[in-house]
Amino acid sequence: MTAAAERGPGQGHPAPWLVPAVVVLALFYAVPVLDVFRLALSDATLIQTADGVSTAALRSILTDPALPQVLGTTLVFVAVNVVALQVIGLVIALTIVRGERRGLPGMAAFRTLVLAAWVVPGIANGLIWGMLFDEAPYGTLNSLLGFAGLGPVAWLSDPQMALVSAVIANLWQGTAFSMIVFYAARRGIDPVLYEVAELDAAGPWRTFRSITLPLMTTAIAVNSVLVSVQTLNTFDSILALTGGGPGRATEVLALFTFNTVFYNLDLAGGSVLAVMLFAIAMALALLIGWLGRPRGPA
Amino acid sequence: MSAARWGDVATYAALIVLAAFFALPFAWLISLALRTPSEIYLGAARFIPEAPTLANFKTIMSDPAFLIYLWNGLKLSALGGGLAVALAIPAAYACSRLPFRGRGGVMLGLLVVQMISPLVILLPLYRWMDALGLLNRDLSVIAVYGALGMPLAVWLLKVAFDAIPVELEEVAQIDGASRATILLRIVLPLSRPGIASAFILTMVMNWSQFLIPFILLERDADWPISVAIFNFAGSVSASTTQLLAAACLVAVMPAVVVFVVLQRMIVSALIAGAVKG
Repeated sequence: MTAAAERGPGQGHPAPWLVPAVVVLALFYAVPVLDVFRLALSDATLIQTADGVSTAALRSILTDPALPQVLGTTLVFVAVNVVALQVIGLVIALTIVRGERRGLPGMAAFRTLVLAAWVVPGIANGLIWGMLFDEAPYGTLNSLLGFAGLGPVAWLSDPQMALVSAVIANLWQGTAFSMIVFYAARRGIDPVLYEVAELDAAGPWRTFRSITLPLMTTAIAVNSVLVSVQTLNTFDSILALTGGGPGRATEVLALFTFNTVFYNLDLAGGSVLAVMLFAIAMALALLIGWLGRPRGPA
Repeated sequence: MSAARWGDVATYAALIVLAAFFALPFAWLISLALRTPSEIYLGAARFIPEAPTLANFKTIMSDPAFLIYLWNGLKLSALGGGLAVALAIPAAYACSRLPFRGRGGVMLGLLVVQMISPLVILLPLYRWMDALGLLNRDLSVIAVYGALGMPLAVWLLKVAFDAIPVELEEVAQIDGASRATILLRIVLPLSRPGIASAFILTMVMNWSQFLIPFILLERDADWPISVAIFNFAGSVSASTTQLLAAACLVAVMPAVVVFVVLQRMIVSALIAGAVKG
């Protein structure tokens, strides 16, 4: 009989069990992040190693006239997505819960449809929406609009419209995550509260305002942060949809970082941008710790 | 009509609008993939092709390179998902069964690292893989997939382990079983649905991955399907849209089908994770 066996299941040394996870966290997260900081203060390119400390990359990125535009696009892209993803996700979650309660058919099928969009690879998402937004007369949306005597819309060639199109494509794919979180949160609310509301003859809007919404604030707050970070880090669907264009109209920070490193081969500059991405994500992560305190994260 | 009835009408009205939005891209993709080249130019008027053809799929699937891309995608995703789950099991067990100081910290840390963009950590990893001679080797991609999937897997497995009555383990312990034996003989078999959910979710994530194989694998023949369709799209003109649609459909279908078939299990695992976390 080993020593551990005498102590019962509640005890034992966690260290050996945690070794694989800790090694992975160190090798694939902690050390690379530190290395990115080091590279940001170097003059490394993708094909040339760092040669001493330098702030040249930092200065050239910070004074790059493209940066303010990229950050502005990122802010708009993330902000609009965070609001729209959650509003649609909440509407879907509450609608499905209501439908299930009333025993209406079709709820599972609808949930499946939303989830199916979720597992479409980002690159495929960009390519599929690229076909839908095709501006030729035979493009999906333009030919549909043509039936109604409208259009054609310059979905991808107009800078502002291109950003709208990128948001639509992201909404299609991203809504499922918020739907799951809100569905779980709504199902976690004690049904007795709704019975009481019904006895008090409270209408649906009043019930939503006084019971559903207040009891879901933690879920909404935490989900807002998660969705912001996810959206901030999204770039493969935009890469496939617009390539960041026209001009830089849809070039978000993650895509700008990708282009800087892997097309311009500017590793030091890309590292400066990666540090920015990391810093924004971590600032948002700290928010989650603070928001999730009363009930734990997510 | 009662208020509840009107509510049902409103429910369906909302769902129909939303369902149209979510279904349109799939429906259009299928429509394009079944058309002949000349029907592409007819747009929505030929939403249902007059003479649906499987020729596009035949063209795609008869290209041996395409089958290799699919196989590469399957191989990398499955091995990466398996690695993530294997790495996660001990940590999830410790977090579920061993009350140690800093357990909350470990779980929170795992949540936080998931917020780091793969792009950030890939910059140094690319250089290290290069220095180690692992560039263009499947191993490099699988290792990164394992690291990226592990945090989610720990969360899902911890929830699955929490659901197993601790009394079962106590009995085994009285019989003299070591903790490793208990984990292998009792805990793991009883948490098969949780393990399967974690494996499938990480695998689906890997199937969607573009950045990591795109950067770490430079040779055409090593690419998974996600990278290959991006490259293929660059060479497509209007006259081959139907081929791109067929290729996209083939790339999307495996993940969608697996997810739809197993969604009850996966979604309940996710919901359990969201609630208990």
